[in-house]
Amino acid sequence: SEILDSSLADIKFMWLEGGLQLEFGAEEIVELIEALFAESLRRYALSSLVNSLLDTPRPVPFEFLINGQFLRTSIDDFLTANGISAEAQLDVEYVRALVPPVHVTSFEQDAWVSSVDVLSRSSEAVAWARGGESPMAGQERILAGGYDGLFRVWSMSSDVLATSASAGEGGHTAAIKSVKWLAPSKLVTGSLDRTIRLWNYSESGGETSPTLTPTLELYGHKSGIDSVAVDTPSSRILSASGDNSIGLWSTQKYDAPEAPKNLLPSASAIANKRRKLNKTSSRTVPQRGPLSLLSAHTAPVSSAIFNPNDPTVAYSASWDHTLRTWDLPTSTLVDTRTTSHPLLSLAAMPGVNLLATGTSARHITLIDPRASATTVAAMTLRGHNNAVVDLAVDPRSPCGLVSASHDGTSRIWDIRSVRTRGVGEGGVQGQIGESVYVIEREARAGKEGKRIVAGDGVKVFGVCWDRDVGIVSVGEDKKVQINRGEGLGAGLIEGGR
Amino acid sequence: NVDPESLLPKLPSPEELRPFPTTCATIFHGHEGRVRSLAIDPTGTYLASGGDDGTIRVWELLTGYQLWSIRLSKEEAVNVVRWRPGRDAVILSAATGEDIYLIIPFALPSLSPEVEEASRAILDAGWGYATSTTSTNALAVKKEPPARWERTEPRLEDKGALIRISVRSTVKVISWHRRGEYFSTVSPAGQSHSVAIHTLSKHLTQLPFRRLRGLAQSSAFHPSKPIFFVATQRAIRSYDLSKQELVKILQPGARWISSFDVHPLGDNIIVGSYDKRLLWHDLDLSNKPYKTLRYHQKAIRAVKYHPSLPLFADASDDGTLQVFHGKVVGDMMENATIVPLKVLRGHTVVKELGVLDLEWHPREAWCVSAGADGCCRLWC
Ligand SMILES: [Mg+2]
Repeated sequence: SEILDSSLADIKFMWLEGGLQLEFGAEEIVELIEALFAESLRRYALSSLVNSLLDTPRPVPFEFLINGQFLRTSIDDFLTANGISAEAQLDVEYVRALVPPVHVTSFEQDAWVSSVDVLSRSSEAVAWARGGESPMAGQERILAGGYDGLFRVWSMSSDVLATSASAGEGGHTAAIKSVKWLAPSKLVTGSLDRTIRLWNYSESGGETSPTLTPTLELYGHKSGIDSVAVDTPSSRILSASGDNSIGLWSTQKYDAPEAPKNLLPSASAIANKRRKLNKTSSRTVPQRGPLSLLSAHTAPVSSAIFNPNDPTVAYSASWDHTLRTWDLPTSTLVDTRTTSHPLLSLAAMPGVNLLATGTSARHITLIDPRASATTVAAMTLRGHNNAVVDLAVDPRSPCGLVSASHDGTSRIWDIRSVRTRGVGEGGVQGQIGESVYVIEREARAGKEGKRIVAGDGVKVFGVCWDRDVGIVSVGEDKKVQINRGEGLGAGLIEGGR
Repeated sequence: NVDPESLLPKLPSPEELRPFPTTCATIFHGHEGRVRSLAIDPTGTYLASGGDDGTIRVWELLTGYQLWSIRLSKEEAVNVVRWRPGRDAVILSAATGEDIYLIIPFALPSLSPEVEEASRAILDAGWGYATSTTSTNALAVKKEPPARWERTEPRLEDKGALIRISVRSTVKVISWHRRGEYFSTVSPAGQSHSVAIHTLSKHLTQLPFRRLRGLAQSSAFHPSKPIFFVATQRAIRSYDLSKQELVKILQPGARWISSFDVHPLGDNIIVGSYDKRLLWHDLDLSNKPYKTLRYHQKAIRAVKYHPSLPLFADASDDGTLQVFHGKVVGDMMENATIVPLKVLRGHTVVKELGVLDLEWHPREAWCVSAGADGCCRLWC
């Protein structure tokens, strides 16, 4: 066809997964392109062809992106629909297709589950431990925090390995909103009781069940803590609070400042009275204050994260509609991006230099935080029917993202799956992305199609995407739910290294 | 030839008037029986509600999680809950039967030890004021005061309900002055005691009107001037508090006013009525309404302006809320632009009762509604 007459050099083939780039021989490219532009050729046929070209040990499903858009129809229809003429340059990429994530298992807690984190051999907390203890396959641990002020450590076989102390025994006195592993034996929790607490988790007791020991209580915030982020190599924690500030803390007792006396529970008449009523634990936990509190936001801060490439830089998202960049060593505000809606969640996508932020207005906005970026929103991801309150990046792809929403779903996004804003879709800048897969709550399985108003009873509050365990989401149904795309070509990629 | 239609000013389309609430984002479950009143705290993160079960509940606004609750009465409904304005303290006011409570909801995340101390100081400042002043005036002792301010029993005190103010007739409305020092209450059946103004720092209750023409329905303070508004069934009167004189009488033309609200700039008033009318009064124009809107099939229970955006809404026994764009221009020559934007449906009508109260978020284009169906809803 005419397209074949255009320069082969104009057509780029890239392997984007796993940092692996493969070059093809010229004959292979010709064969591929002939197949590519055969009439009515669809993804499935292309996928088989690429498998044979790559000589994969077992077939791997592939997706195709042409000029940045996923191929969902035949090539012909695609070219016609997008008005691409024969002379145009085509950028063709093929990527391993995401397989629909299937439900693996669910665990139930006693109260709404607000937050979740996974400890596996591929998780950051293990990488930071540098050759320390690393959970074997099947020995992964799931940490889940709840509105009852308790958190639990789960095994993959649905056993509760440990439950934190109750309020009367020295635990959190209000809902836990955020949980994170710092290391395989160390974790941190943030709560509506205004404190951040560090805990040691030990399974080394042999016969005895694992133990949880509180090691540090951090005071400084004047309202609840909505999220915490950790950077173990620099011993730093970031917190986002309803008092409109961001806290920077040390995980080390010795280099943490003294706790502000006026914020300790002993400063409160009511808390004192309550403590007399409760049996206070005999163990006293060290109390410390923040390294600094960053103020500029004018409404609650929902999330604060470290720049994954440079932990001296932080980003924060707030109900005040802004996303801010901070220089931590100097505690200075570097940049402010103002959007149109309250921002309720934040995740960094370092591979594509973007920040993803979830809004109360049911969408996700992708923002380029670099000073050189000219537009506020690089892209908008649409599809949720309620607030987007948590985000996690795909451990296998720089372009993948999973979101947790009050609409009762988690959605998987690939930011290459975009279309240009249509007529009448006012208000947003740039391109619009649609989700690749929707994960419903398992309790709702089989009731597809019947949308629950406001996600009533099934709101999803937290999500974590782990390379080994899969997508773990938690919510109002009190469940910790694990979904995994079975048959993902993980072995192939690792074998290729 | 000119088409007369083309001479009419063009109304903007709803699409151009975003943001305004369009969908239900959260449903708040927990009350047994009707929810009668609700209010969003000054920080915009908590919702307080009160209802027929005699309880007040405070919820996380976005998730609908119940953070705190108190049972004020076993027999009587909580008719009204309102937050004291200001960020210096966390104080909730509520009324059940003839009792008004001032409450520091102890479990709230924003109640740090400092804020708790500040809140207690505000509530405690007036203890002893009444006794110290009446002792200097022997004649006044004979007269029964219009209200009794007292400490509560331990069951309530432990939850944070620290002060009870007992008046002589069931309180239906509480409205705060913006500075958080005064609040007024309305007891429609209270005759000469129907409207009271309470001074927090002095624990003092005063009755500004010896006699009102008609049953008092609601009251409000002007957002910036020392003017006080009182609605009876048929009229709304404004009084200059400093000069102690009647300023204006508005005649909305409704048969029974249920509720009214004063625009944040102070020159316009919306009025809702049990006879299904929503009326907009421009105080610079006549004492008759500038606009009469009839969109509901049943009584209008509550009307409210957004505190900062050009929005207002009403709540009706037909189970819906109607959201309007209402733009007030500072220019006296130009009238307000009113555009109906959205009908919010979701509440179930129970025994002829639908939506009993509504409130706007302090910053966002979000509102909340209290249903006879036992639920509150957040609309975003
Ligand atoms: Mg969050």
